[in-house]
Amino acid sequence: MLDVGRHPNVELMAYSEVEKIEGTKGNFKATVRRKARYVDENKCTGCGACTEKCPTPVPDAFNEGFSDRKAIYSWFAQGIPSTHVIDPDFCRVLNGKKCGICQKKCEAGAIDFEQTDKIVELDIGAVVVATGYEIFNPEIIPEYRYKDLPNVITAIEFERFLSASGPTSGHIDRPSDIIVHNQIKDLEKKEKKSKKGILRLEEKHGLSSKDFFEKFKNKEYDDKENIKDMEKWAEKYETHLELSRSLTYLKKVSEKFDVAKKLAFIQCVGSRDLRFYPFCSGYCCMHSIKEAIIAHEHENETTSTIFGMDIRAVSKGFEEYKVRGGNNSNISYARGRVAEIINGPKNNPVIIYEDTKEQKVKKEAFDLVILATACAPDKSVKQLSEILDIEINKFGFFKTDSNKPLDTTRKGIFVCGCAHSPMDIPESVAQASSAASRAVQAVTDIQQTVKAS
Amino acid sequence: MNKEMLVIGGGIAGIQSSLDLAEMGFKVHLVERLPSIGGKMAQLDKTFPTNDCAI
Repeated sequence: MLDVGRHPNVELMAYSEVEKIEGTKGNFKATVRRKARYVDENKCTGCGACTEKCPTPVPDAFNEGFSDRKAIYSWFAQGIPSTHVIDPDFCRVLNGKKCGICQKKCEAGAIDFEQTDKIVELDIGAVVVATGYEIFNPEIIPEYRYKDLPNVITAIEFERFLSASGPTSGHIDRPSDIIVHNQIKDLEKKEKKSKKGILRLEEKHGLSSKDFFEKFKNKEYDDKENIKDMEKWAEKYETHLELSRSLTYLKKVSEKFDVAKKLAFIQCVGSRDLRFYPFCSGYCCMHSIKEAIIAHEHENETTSTIFGMDIRAVSKGFEEYKVRGGNNSNISYARGRVAEIINGPKNNPVIIYEDTKEQKVKKEAFDLVILATACAPDKSVKQLSEILDIEINKFGFFKTDSNKPLDTTRKGIFVCGCAHSPMDIPESVAQASSAASRAVQAVTDIQQTVKAS
Repeated sequence: MNKEMLVIGGGIAGIQSSLDLAEMGFKVHLVERLPSIGGKMAQLDKTFPTNDCAI
């Protein structure tokens, strides 16, 4: 990633979109819209002083919404380029409100609210399309109850939980527990505020709230002039008591919280399912095994069960990795498709499934359920296929020639990675190199046709 | 014939393609929709099979 940012032959155009491609192989004219960052790329050093002081929190898409970023942000900490961006949907200034704190804090003077989109025209010989994929949204599968049960999450969300730079700093906290922790934080803020108000009243009247409230209840203030003030005080004190009670209760509950140690992975969520995508997404089996192994590395007591029709460990070293996971990382593989997830006590999801080895329907509770979601075609595929004038196949990936597997339906445009079809990282990398070679062949006119002998 | 290249998408595939093309001496324009390159792989904690850091 760093190499590509530094390479003298690479012009990095982040936060940009291709709008038009005209011409033919060897002589394309591409129009690229460079979206306004509202931050000067040449001045921003990526120090993050602006982000620290920005008052507007926004759910962080990089952490799958489990943490907040600010309205001025960098996509992720080590991102390249490190230039920050202002989110025009949330920034107070760009929405006509008063703010501009980032502008004051930026020592480089990089913030520019007047910046506009720039249109760039490029003369191009060949195009490589590597637009990737999108994670299948399991909300539409009713039986897995994703988003309905807090402790059912997707594999990419779990990946963020495992990451030291993720929302939980690498601890596998259960989302239901995180909700309670956030509630506690909220209540603490509210309690602090109400306590301040009460203290002010206590000082004013020279009386503790407790004594006052007893007197108030005994109707000692009924005929006094400032009865309205007293009523307000009593009301405030009552809310404060209520807040403290909820806070103590939640704190007591949260004392028993522990990291998730009993994990369930459900395979083929959206893939190999005739309701959604009939194809196998290829990488999810190994992804689940990897996540289970890493989770075990984090916490030695962790046990994982992987529910799948079969485990497709088909490549160099994959089968050995699967066996190693079973032997060393407390992973067990259950053959069968999960029928339903229901909510159990303590927010533990309960999985109902048929164990096809024993031919029995079983029920088991877990701390956390991770859904191995399908590799779905990217949302922008249709729009991009129109811009590039190339066809897509019946699943929504770019259509390719069966004899030249990286050639799209327009000469000089090649596709690789998950925009081509679902595949794992090593395959994407291999295909990317092939696509680069094909692109070079296209502009150097090396004949590719194999002559029949 | 034009010798400059356009790579659309700055994930692992786009990055690898760009680097290969750049190493072969071609000028590459790498277009990414998001503010930083890296794509889905940057979101991964560690990668199979060596369990090395993804970034």
